[in-house]
Amino acid sequence: MNTVAITTVRRESLWSKAFYKFSRDRTGMISLVFVLFYMLIAFGVTLGWLATDWSDVQGGKWEGMSTTYWFGTNMIGQDIFSRAIYSTKTAFEVGLVVALIATAVGAVIGAISGFFSGTWIDEVLLWLMGVLDSIPFYLFVAAIVFAMQESPYAMHVAMISTFWTGSSRLVRGEVIKLRGLEYVEAAHAIGVSELGIIFRHILPNTTHILLVQATITFVAAIKSEVILSFLGLGVKDGMSWGLMIAESSQEVMAGFFNNFLAASVLMFGLVMAFNMFSDALQDALDPRKVS
Amino acid sequence: MAEDKKPPLLSVQNLIIEFATENGVVRATDNISFDIFANETVGIVGESGCGKTVTGLSILGLIPSPPGRIVGGSITFMGRELVGLPEEEMRKIRGCHISMIFQEPMTALNPVFSIGNQMTDVLIRHHGLTRRQARDSAIEMLAKVGIPAPAKRIDEYPHQLSGGMRQRVMIAMALSCDPKLLIADEPTTALDVTTQAQVLEQISKLQAEFHMAVVLITHDLGVVAETCRRAIVMYCGRIVENASIEHLFASPRHPYAKGLLDSIPQIRSQRLEELPIIPGRVPDLLQLPPGCRFADRCPRADGLCSEQIPKLAPSGTHADRVACHHPYPAVQAGSAS
Amino acid sequence: MSGQDNTALLEVRELKKFFPVRGGLLQRVVTQVRAVDGVSFKIDKGLTLGLVGESGCGKSTLGRAILRLHEPTSGQILIDGQDIVGLPRSRMGEQRRRMQIIFQDPFASLSPRRTVAQIIREPLDVHGIGTAQERERRVIELLADVGMGAEIRDRYPHEFSGGQRQRIGIARALALEPDFIVADEPVSALDVSVQSQVLNLIAELKKKRGIAFLFISHDLAVIQHVSDEIGVMYLGQIVEHATVGDLYSAPKHPYTQALMSAIPVPDPTARRTRIVLEGDVPSPMNPPAGCLFHTRCPQAQDRCRTTVPAMLNVGSETNPHRVACHLQD
Repeated sequence: MNTVAITTVRRESLWSKAFYKFSRDRTGMISLVFVLFYMLIAFGVTLGWLATDWSDVQGGKWEGMSTTYWFGTNMIGQDIFSRAIYSTKTAFEVGLVVALIATAVGAVIGAISGFFSGTWIDEVLLWLMGVLDSIPFYLFVAAIVFAMQESPYAMHVAMISTFWTGSSRLVRGEVIKLRGLEYVEAAHAIGVSELGIIFRHILPNTTHILLVQATITFVAAIKSEVILSFLGLGVKDGMSWGLMIAESSQEVMAGFFNNFLAASVLMFGLVMAFNMFSDALQDALDPRKVS
Repeated sequence: MAEDKKPPLLSVQNLIIEFATENGVVRATDNISFDIFANETVGIVGESGCGKTVTGLSILGLIPSPPGRIVGGSITFMGRELVGLPEEEMRKIRGCHISMIFQEPMTALNPVFSIGNQMTDVLIRHHGLTRRQARDSAIEMLAKVGIPAPAKRIDEYPHQLSGGMRQRVMIAMALSCDPKLLIADEPTTALDVTTQAQVLEQISKLQAEFHMAVVLITHDLGVVAETCRRAIVMYCGRIVENASIEHLFASPRHPYAKGLLDSIPQIRSQRLEELPIIPGRVPDLLQLPPGCRFADRCPRADGLCSEQIPKLAPSGTHADRVACHHPYPAVQAGSAS
Repeated sequence: MSGQDNTALLEVRELKKFFPVRGGLLQRVVTQVRAVDGVSFKIDKGLTLGLVGESGCGKSTLGRAILRLHEPTSGQILIDGQDIVGLPRSRMGEQRRRMQIIFQDPFASLSPRRTVAQIIREPLDVHGIGTAQERERRVIELLADVGMGAEIRDRYPHEFSGGQRQRIGIARALALEPDFIVADEPVSALDVSVQSQVLNLIAELKKKRGIAFLFISHDLAVIQHVSDEIGVMYLGQIVEHATVGDLYSAPKHPYTQALMSAIPVPDPTARRTRIVLEGDVPSPMNPPAGCLFHTRCPQAQDRCRTTVPAMLNVGSETNPHRVACHLQD
C-alpha cells in the first residue's frame, strides 16, 4: 500500500480563513478600529488613567465648550466630556458581562434542548424560554430591581435572564441539524457519553453562531442599559450615558444640549460600529462560505 | 464517418473558463475543443472537478459570473457565436434550441407550484399557446416520457413524485420546446439503478423521436457505453481523449482513459485479488504541473510529459483524438465498425 | 470458519425497526414506517456479508440498528451468543469496542473542528486505552495502516479529499481493534478511481486482521469484490441470501435478477436483454400485501398478490441459498 501523496494540500484552519475574509471587508475593519478605540477608552477608565474627575464639581453651571471643558459643564458644573468618557466603561462593563454570560447560558441550554429534542427535557426548556420571552422586559426588570433591593447588579441579572433565550433558540436549531450528522453518530459508535458529544462534538461547531450572537447581545445590552438608566432602573452607582440623558431632560428644556448630545453621539458611535462589526463577522464566519 | 462533411450543430473551440477563488484563479476548462453533430449522443466523462459540468453550463451561458468567466475561445451553435451573446438572446436560445436537465430534479423544480403549472408556463411564454392548449400539450409530453396517468399527475406537486418521476418531469419540460440539443448533467446519478435504467432508456428513445443531439455529462462510463456514440474524456480541465465508443472501450489510447475504464466496478465472473487502481490523486487546480496533468499518475510518463503539455491531436483512424505524448497503440481489430 | 462451537460472531434474529409517523393536532402516532421488518442473518468471524438494495430499502437503518445507534423495535442481536438489545449503557460500552462503523459521506463523518489525531485518538481516550504516549504512537500506526503519513496528524478534515477523509474514518473505526465493522456505503460518495483504492484497503484489512464486515451498498458490482455472502434487501426484508459465487452466477429472486441486469456494462458491444422494472418502490409506510415485490415483478402470479412467500433454501445444507419467492416452489 503506497502512502497517499498529500503534498498539494493547502494548510488553513476554518478560523484563519474567516480571519482572512474579515480582513478584506473594509467596513468590517473600519468598524473594528472604532470598537477597539472605544475599548481602549473603557480600559483606560478602568485603570484610572482617564476621566478620573468625572464626579468633581469644577466649573460653573452650563459652561460652553472650551479648552478646559471640551463639551462644557452640566447643571452643577461637572465636566461633561469626562462623564461621557467614563460612561464608556459602564457601557462596556454591562455589555461584556451580559453578552458573555447570556451567550454561555444560552449555548448550554440550547445545546441540551436541541440534543434532547423530542423528549420531555426539551419540552420543559422550550416552555421556560417561551415564558421568559412573553414577559414584558421593563416590567420584568422593575420586578427584579425591586426583588433584589436595588442591588447594582439587578439590571445585569434581568438582562441575562431574558437575553439568553435568543442564543438558546439559535443554538438549539443548529444542534438539531448537527445531531443528525454522521460524525455525531460516529461519536456514539465509539462510545462517547452524551455530555461528551454535546460539549466536544456539537458545541464547538456552533461557535460561529455564538460569536455573532454575543456581539448582537452586547449591543442590545448597551442599548437597554441606557434606557434602564434613563428610567432610573439601571446604573445606581456611577455614571452612564442613560443617566446623562436623564439629567439633560431638564437642560434641554432650558436650551442647553451639550449633555444630551455628548451622551447620544458617543452611544450612537459605539452601537453603530458594533453593529457593523457584527455584520462583517457574520459574513466572515458564514459556514456556507467558509467551509 | 459521413457526418464529418456536414457542419457541426455545436462547435466548441479553445474554450477557457476561469473561476476566481479565495486562493487564486482556477482554470476550470483549459483550451477545450470539440464538435457535436446533429442527432448524435455524446458523453462527456470525467471525475469530480474535471470541468465537465462547467463545460455543459457554458454552452447555455449559465456560468455563474462572478466568480466564473469565459476568458477565451468560442462556442458556435448552428453557425451562431454564443460567447458574448446578450442575456436576452441567450434566453431565447435556452428556451427554444438548447435545453438542460440536472442531477437533482428536486432543486430544479419549484416546490410551491404544481407540475402542470411549471410546464405550461414555459409553453405559454415561449410558444404563445393558450392555457388549454398548453395543458394538453404538457399532458402529451408527460405521457411521452413515460409517466403513467399523466392527466392526473399534472396537478401534483414535486414532493409527491418519486426521484425517477421528477427526473422524467424535468425531461418533459426540457423537451417541451423541441430542442435541437439536450444537455443532461448527471441525470441519473441521484437515482437507483433500476430507475436509472428506466430513465436512460427513455432518453435514448426520445433522442431518436425528437431528432436531437444529446450531450450526456457523467462520471459513469457504464452509462456512456450504453447510451452514447462517442465519448469525450476530461481530466483536470482538459480533454484527454475524444473517440467513438467502440474504439474507446476496445482500446483506450490515453492512459487516464484506460485507468478509468479498468477501475470501473463491474460484476466479474472471477473475483480479482485486487481491483485495478489509478495511483495517487488528481492534482490541485491551483498548482498544476507544467506538463501533462496526468504525468504524476501515469505508467507511461517520461521526461517529455512533465515538461510539455500534449495537444489534442488526431489519433489515426476516423475522427478520434487523443492528447498524449505516448498513447497506447490503437487496436486495428476494433475499428471495423 | 472459527471454532466448531456453532456460535456466530454476530447473529441477528427477526430484527425490526419501525419509525413512528406522527400527525394530526395532538401529534399522535398515525402510522409506522417499517424500515427494517424482520431480518435474520449470521456473520462468522472474519467474513463479510454484503447487503445490497435500493435507497429506502432499510439497509442503512439495519446497519445502525445493529450498533444500536437506532434502538431496535424488536428482535435480537447476538454477539458471540450474547444479546445486546436492551443491554444497559454501562455494559454496552464493552460491546461498542467490538463493533464499529464506517460512513458513506466522508464530508459529514469527521468533526470539522478537530484535528486528524484528535479524531483517531478519541476512541482510545473514551475507553481509556494505554497511556498518552502509547495513544499517540497508536495514532501514527493507524494512519500508516490506512496508507497515510504521520505528518498529517495536526491537520483538519476539510484539508483532505474525499478518499483521504474516508481513510481517516477507517483509521478511527480501527482504533478499538473491533471484530466487526458496519461499512455503510463507504465508497459511493467517491470518484471511480478512488473507489477502487478504498475497496482494496478494506479488502486488505479484512484479510490481514480478520475483521468481519457488514458491507452495505446499492451497487452489486462494488459489493462483489469485498463480500463472502450477499443479502438482497427490498422494503425492509431480505429477499435473497447466498454466497457470492451462487448469487452472481445464478440469482433466483426476480428482484435480484432485475438489479443485476440494470447495472450499466462498460462494453458497448455487449447487447443483452435488460429487465426494466416498472414503477417505483412502494412506500414502507404502507407495504403491499403478499410478496412485497409483486407490484413491480414481471413474473408475478395471483398467489404473489395474496400470500407472503416463505424463505426457502434452494441450495444445499452446507451451502445454503435462501430466497423468498413463490416461483421457487
